[in-house]
Amino acid sequence: MSAACRSGVRWLLQKSVCNIAGWRLYSAHPGAGTAATAAASKTGLPLGSELAGKSSLSARIHDKLRVLQSKHAVMAQRMSEDISTLSRDELAKISKDLSDASLVVTPYNRLLELYGELTELQQMIDSGDASLRSLAQEEKQEVLENVASCERDIISELLPKDSAEKAGAILEIRAGTGGDEASLFSGDLLHMYERYSQTKGWRIKPISMNKEGDMVKEVMVEILGRGVFGALMFESGVHRVQRVPATETQGRVHTSTATVAVLPHAADVQIEIKESDLRFEAFRASGKGGQHVNTTDSAVRITHIPTGIAVENQQERSQHKNKEKAMSVLRARLYAIERERVANERRESRNKLIGTGSRSEKCRTYNFSQNRVTDHRINFSLYDLEGVMNGSSLHHIIDQLRMQNDLNELTDMG
Amino acid sequence: MPRSPSNNTLIPLLRKLSEKLGEQQAKNELRWMVDHVHAALDDSGQRQVSRLEKSAHRAARIWRDQPARSAAEVEQDNIRFSTVQWAWLRQAVSDRTEKHKPLQYILGNQPFGKANISLRPPVLIPRWETEEWMLRLVGMLNTHMESLSADGGKPRPLNILDACTGTGCIALGMACGLEPESAVISGIDIADEAIALAEENLALNSLLAKNKVQFHKLDLQSPDASSQLLEVQPCWDIVVSNPPYVTPSEYGQLDPDVKEWEDIRALVPMPYSTDPKTVNLKDLDPSGIAFIAHLAKLARDIGVSDNGVSKIAGTSIPRLVVEVGGKLQTEPVCQALHDHGFNSTEVWKDMAGNERVVLGYVKV
Repeated sequence: MSAACRSGVRWLLQKSVCNIAGWRLYSAHPGAGTAATAAASKTGLPLGSELAGKSSLSARIHDKLRVLQSKHAVMAQRMSEDISTLSRDELAKISKDLSDASLVVTPYNRLLELYGELTELQQMIDSGDASLRSLAQEEKQEVLENVASCERDIISELLPKDSAEKAGAILEIRAGTGGDEASLFSGDLLHMYERYSQTKGWRIKPISMNKEGDMVKEVMVEILGRGVFGALMFESGVHRVQRVPATETQGRVHTSTATVAVLPHAADVQIEIKESDLRFEAFRASGKGGQHVNTTDSAVRITHIPTGIAVENQQERSQHKNKEKAMSVLRARLYAIERERVANERRESRNKLIGTGSRSEKCRTYNFSQNRVTDHRINFSLYDLEGVMNGSSLHHIIDQLRMQNDLNELTDMG
Repeated sequence: MPRSPSNNTLIPLLRKLSEKLGEQQAKNELRWMVDHVHAALDDSGQRQVSRLEKSAHRAARIWRDQPARSAAEVEQDNIRFSTVQWAWLRQAVSDRTEKHKPLQYILGNQPFGKANISLRPPVLIPRWETEEWMLRLVGMLNTHMESLSADGGKPRPLNILDACTGTGCIALGMACGLEPESAVISGIDIADEAIALAEENLALNSLLAKNKVQFHKLDLQSPDASSQLLEVQPCWDIVVSNPPYVTPSEYGQLDPDVKEWEDIRALVPMPYSTDPKTVNLKDLDPSGIAFIAHLAKLARDIGVSDNGVSKIAGTSIPRLVVEVGGKLQTEPVCQALHDHGFNSTEVWKDMAGNERVVLGYVKV
């Protein structure tokens, strides 16, 4: 059936329903700007969305989308008025923001329309006329498919665009409070990220590791692949575990923590480090050196004098390779600082859902007895602890964080 | 196969190594040994047996209704060493601790710049200081060649002499690091075993080396050394060297790792046709720079400090580069270089802060 033909059928159906039941015609295609307020129900979800079944857009995301929508309307209004009053820069900024926002708002408006259609169709299905019902059912399936593709459009528009987010990352896990149990948990987290990386096809290379058996005190790994930082950037923070530790004999539940830090891999990003700002040390070297000793101690420390950051490495047998590795870590650290600085400036003006990514805050809880993982920043709980810990369900949480963050950034425009 | 756990852990080996090296370094060395064992002694025959064993285990588990092995257990199994690997590890640790055998000889190789250098006693093990200045020199020469070719025309390859090449590490490291076809490098050594090993290393790194390398056995202190060198190559541009510079008195106090394993001829300078087995250390030059002074003279004799022959003057590139044993030697070495026509000198420090290399230039 062609699109025109389909809507014709629906129109006929509507007519007949109205005639039979004497219902008023629902205003099926509301204007973009007013739809948000008109459709806002008590749950925060737009009317009709409950009919679409399981949706990846939560109530909070809908709130944000509505804000974005009204901003879009305001900007469109300004552009349609007298643009000669705007300065050149203002004009450029607004038109850029407008085009950014419409990438999300256009599919969102379409989604709201589809929800409206769903509501009508549901009314028809409930109306009791058997012939209408089967037609409406058929129609509903098609609308549902459109809803799904619309949601996909919205989500894909919210996916990473920042060049740093496409790059690899350096992941650091340190055991926090809780002694051996915290080390065990750090090991579990490392395992989780390893498995997750495997499912995404990323490569993991250890940089430094302090572990005994399953207990990981501190570990730093390099993760290479596409979009690594974009996916893992929200993992930074304090991760809390509540469970009966393997080391506990009396069955008591303990709470322990591990801190995770994710730094963007600076390999393909330009930052300038002056050679004169660096101090290289072979840090256990002493005595005459050269032919006089035959050392295998190849440890290298690099200090960046202006910031006082020191990095050391002794993984490789070659001093030269240790130096190169240490340099890449140093570059990543400096890059992270710079990035943090820029991000802080932007963050001032925005109500950020995701938090600062600094280590001081608790961001996620893994509760083993309730089989639950909760991310506190977005109040999102997933009752599939095992799936998360073996990396197969972690993406549900990451996708949610990702989307919330992108929506925030978009609604903060202007 | 039942194994007693105490017999098959790395802990006793680590403890033994720690007594000699300290805990941190022992961990590093043991890790490198284990890496080596996995890479070099991966016995494929053994593997097949263990795969058969594994499937038998699996069948037994199904028969007994036991759950499949967890990922952790499987991993544990994969890092288990074969009997041969265990024997190698035990032998390695006992050589390292009781016989003071250097780790580089145990593993049989050492990375050097981009090259991988194969090692065998008693040829001198490449030191990190040498690697450091070699790479710095390579960077310097590359920049120079780049600016020359930017000025127009491709410059002819530099003829570089690596005196006392040993494993061939400097020659091969430079050949791998320099721009393709920008140099022809000749390594010279007095010892047969060194030349044989250097040839092996050349074959090993033939795919990496982008410049021509050749090795010749020659005694640089023989009276006709300069004419022999000019036969090899009529026009020399640069001499690089890690010559013997340990003084006789220092030699007595060296670690057994060095003294008992490495060739004394690579460490202590000795006059022409001295037998290292019978030499009395007290009779040797106490400053340790006798060979370097000789090398400066030889460099002049083969025309390196002569501007007319090679037409590279000024301080853009060094003509004679020698490693030295610290700040006591730099002053006399600089003087020796000045005496033989290198009228400008420079000293580089290594990462540990010791004065390590003297570079001689020829200013117009």
